[in-house]
Amino acid sequence: MTGFLDYTSGNVDALLQATLEHTVLVLQGLGLAVLIGLPLAALTYRARSRTAVLAVAGVFLTIPSYALFGLLITPLGLGTAPSVVALTLYAFLPVLRNAIVGLREIDPAVVESARGMGLSRLQVLLRVELPLALPVIITGLRVAAQMLLGIAAIAAAVNGPGLGNLILQGLSSAGTPFAVYLTLQGVLGIIVLAILFDLLFAALNRLTTSRGMIHV
Amino acid sequence: MSDQTTDRPMIRLVELTKTYPGRTAPAVDALSLDVPEGEIVVFVGPSGCGKTTTMKLINRLIEPTSGRILLDGEDVTHVDPDRLRRGIGYAIQQTGLFPHRTVAENIATVPKLLGWDRTRVAERVDALLHMVGLAPEEYRDLHPRQLSGGQQQRVGVARALAADPPVLLMDEPFGAIDPLTRETLQNELLRIQREIRKTIVFVTHDIDEAVKMGDRIAIFAEGGRVVQYDTPERILSEPADDFVSDFIGAGASVRRLSLTRIGDATVAEDWPTLPFSADASERAAAVAAGDHDFLLLLDDGLPVEWLPSSGGGGLPVLAPVGPDHTLYDALDTMLSNNSDVVVVTDAQGRYRGTLDLPTIQDLIHVDDAAGVPTRVSRSTSRRSGEPR
Amino acid sequence: MSATAPPPSADAPPRRGATARRTAPSPRVWGLPLLLAAVLGGLYLYVGSQDLDRIERRSLNAEYLLSRTVQHLTLSVVVVVLILAVAIPLGILLTRPRARRFAGPVLAVANIGQATPTLGLIVLFAVVFVAWDVRTIVIVAVWLYGILPVLRNTMVGLDQVDRSMIEAARGMGMTPLRVMLSVELPLAVPVMLSGIRTALVITVGTVALATFVGAGGLGDVISNGIASSRDTVLLTGSVLVAVLALAVDWLAGLVEDLLRPRGA
Repeated sequence: MTGFLDYTSGNVDALLQATLEHTVLVLQGLGLAVLIGLPLAALTYRARSRTAVLAVAGVFLTIPSYALFGLLITPLGLGTAPSVVALTLYAFLPVLRNAIVGLREIDPAVVESARGMGLSRLQVLLRVELPLALPVIITGLRVAAQMLLGIAAIAAAVNGPGLGNLILQGLSSAGTPFAVYLTLQGVLGIIVLAILFDLLFAALNRLTTSRGMIHV
Repeated sequence: MSDQTTDRPMIRLVELTKTYPGRTAPAVDALSLDVPEGEIVVFVGPSGCGKTTTMKLINRLIEPTSGRILLDGEDVTHVDPDRLRRGIGYAIQQTGLFPHRTVAENIATVPKLLGWDRTRVAERVDALLHMVGLAPEEYRDLHPRQLSGGQQQRVGVARALAADPPVLLMDEPFGAIDPLTRETLQNELLRIQREIRKTIVFVTHDIDEAVKMGDRIAIFAEGGRVVQYDTPERILSEPADDFVSDFIGAGASVRRLSLTRIGDATVAEDWPTLPFSADASERAAAVAAGDHDFLLLLDDGLPVEWLPSSGGGGLPVLAPVGPDHTLYDALDTMLSNNSDVVVVTDAQGRYRGTLDLPTIQDLIHVDDAAGVPTRVSRSTSRRSGEPR
Repeated sequence: MSATAPPPSADAPPRRGATARRTAPSPRVWGLPLLLAAVLGGLYLYVGSQDLDRIERRSLNAEYLLSRTVQHLTLSVVVVVLILAVAIPLGILLTRPRARRFAGPVLAVANIGQATPTLGLIVLFAVVFVAWDVRTIVIVAVWLYGILPVLRNTMVGLDQVDRSMIEAARGMGMTPLRVMLSVELPLAVPVMLSGIRTALVITVGTVALATFVGAGGLGDVISNGIASSRDTVLLTGSVLVAVLALAVDWLAGLVEDLLRPRGA
């Protein structure tokens, strides 16, 4: 235990650097998934094509992470690019599915009355439907973030950034006393991030749930 | 009170007490009660009064803290509960039907547990479906989700009766069903009971259902006490205490009207009648002779027309009441016809007499002085069920 | 108070729509295996058309690929059997009245464990238990990781069985074991199966990481491709792992549909 703490005080800069990279990597993946997923959900949530879209997103989620990272190296090379794209693809299903579910479970009467008051289709979407669906969407982000934090460790295997590098360094120094410390740093760093992200999303959820609205 | 006994109780509860762990007050408190063979005994009371707990003590879904349970004379307090339950039918409000099994498989549950052979089980299933009014060939292979609530409850009753147990426990079996269907199912259960003569313990919180279904009613109060155990008539006419009269509520007298059939009631036979074929002079003579405002014209014994003594045209006899109607129906007819008398006929529709408002009032109150009014007779065992 | 039997129609008509549930497999069901077969065929033709150098040939030959596939499947099967052997009995146990109070703590620990990255768990076991056989390390790490979905779904599946139905079964004289086997488990099957399906896919995917500790499997092909910068090898390894996971998911989905109790 003291050995671990002593070691950590020695490489705290590298640990913080890797943690920051890990966070940024996950946020990039999430952000891209939202940028593509939300408009796609808005376009398809009433259409039959939504089942096809969800099925494709489900296929991405089923592909094992090492295989997906590997598949992306050929077009994107090694490093950050395949890592971000892989994480985006994994976040896609939870983001898209929750957005579609959130939009679909809005009371049609609310939408109808908004249309009746003269709001355009886009205005209804932006001012009424998306705000009402926000808690469900954020739950989707929460699920996606938890998943991405773990998968992002694999990024190190394709020379990507993040806490996975500490884990792989630990592996390559197996047999030395530092091996366990490095690996533990990587693993614990990810667990701590997972807890922090969870708290953050719990707070976001509370903030975005309109007062007077029953928690979905 | 709660310790009444009869000659041959099918179920006898002796000083039965259930105290849940961590509670000081018992849920059922030293309850002694006999359920006579072949009768329907209704446990009724407000929620939380221990009526369901008491029922579950009988098949030991809840184990008693102390006391004894005797079934047909045998002490079953400590026998293997699974074996015990296979001999007691059990039907509950939520039906508890197995959704992954067909109607037939559901009904066959206990017979299979008892090791009946296949043909016997199949025959029994069809007979039971027929008995509860579901065509076997149409319903036996359906799954419970494909049935309406009322049909599910019919299957639940059939399943409870499957192994022909002498005792049936029913926990608010019709509680979750719409009023119209509930009435149908109640009537059917009474019809079935006339054939099968089971000893039935029936739990409900609805006093009307209790009065309708019960040969005897046990009224439960908080803390699992039975405050009155009696026939419906006596509970309605002589509530043991304020709790019982409060529970029965304001409508007790009206409820008692529906306990008495007109066929069993004495009717007035002195109303002036005249054959429909009588000519004008005969009619005028009859009007002059009587002091009634109307004469009743009979056509070959069937009541057809009221003839006003003040002259003018006759009024048709709208709704005579027959022997199967109750005093409640008679009163309802008077009120809706805005009349203070109703014509009573026999089963063939022939004139038997008349019933007026004061007579009905007398019939309700007669037992206060003399005895119990005639009860709608449903089963011949009812007499033996009368408290002594 | 007439007591004649009403026609059955006195209650609402039966809902007939629910009868015809099991229909012929739709094209959607067969779409995925056809797609996977096409992908594999395309991969075969592509690799066959390439001029493979010595390094590529070392990975891209039938014997090597077959041995890695067998390793992969063997590890996966052992892990899944261990998962089922522990998670289902544990799930049943934790839903029994007497053990129910342990359910919360067990699930909490399992949830925290789930936040652990799989690669981290495998490597951690490898550097801590240096003396262990590498396959044992992979099996234990992946096994621990796959317990949660099956455990949680077993518990959820059993908990959602209507209490009144269990009581009715007990009231008819079924023994607790019988109620468990013929009422609770059959009704919990759909939820349990979806947990098992998740665990299967996770296991097949995570076993691809066995290569990091030298325990073999199809992950070796991907690692060879990355290490030697040979895209053909990398592509072959990635496609094989992906196709395997998708095929397992599809098969599990098929079994899920088949085993779902009728009427429930």
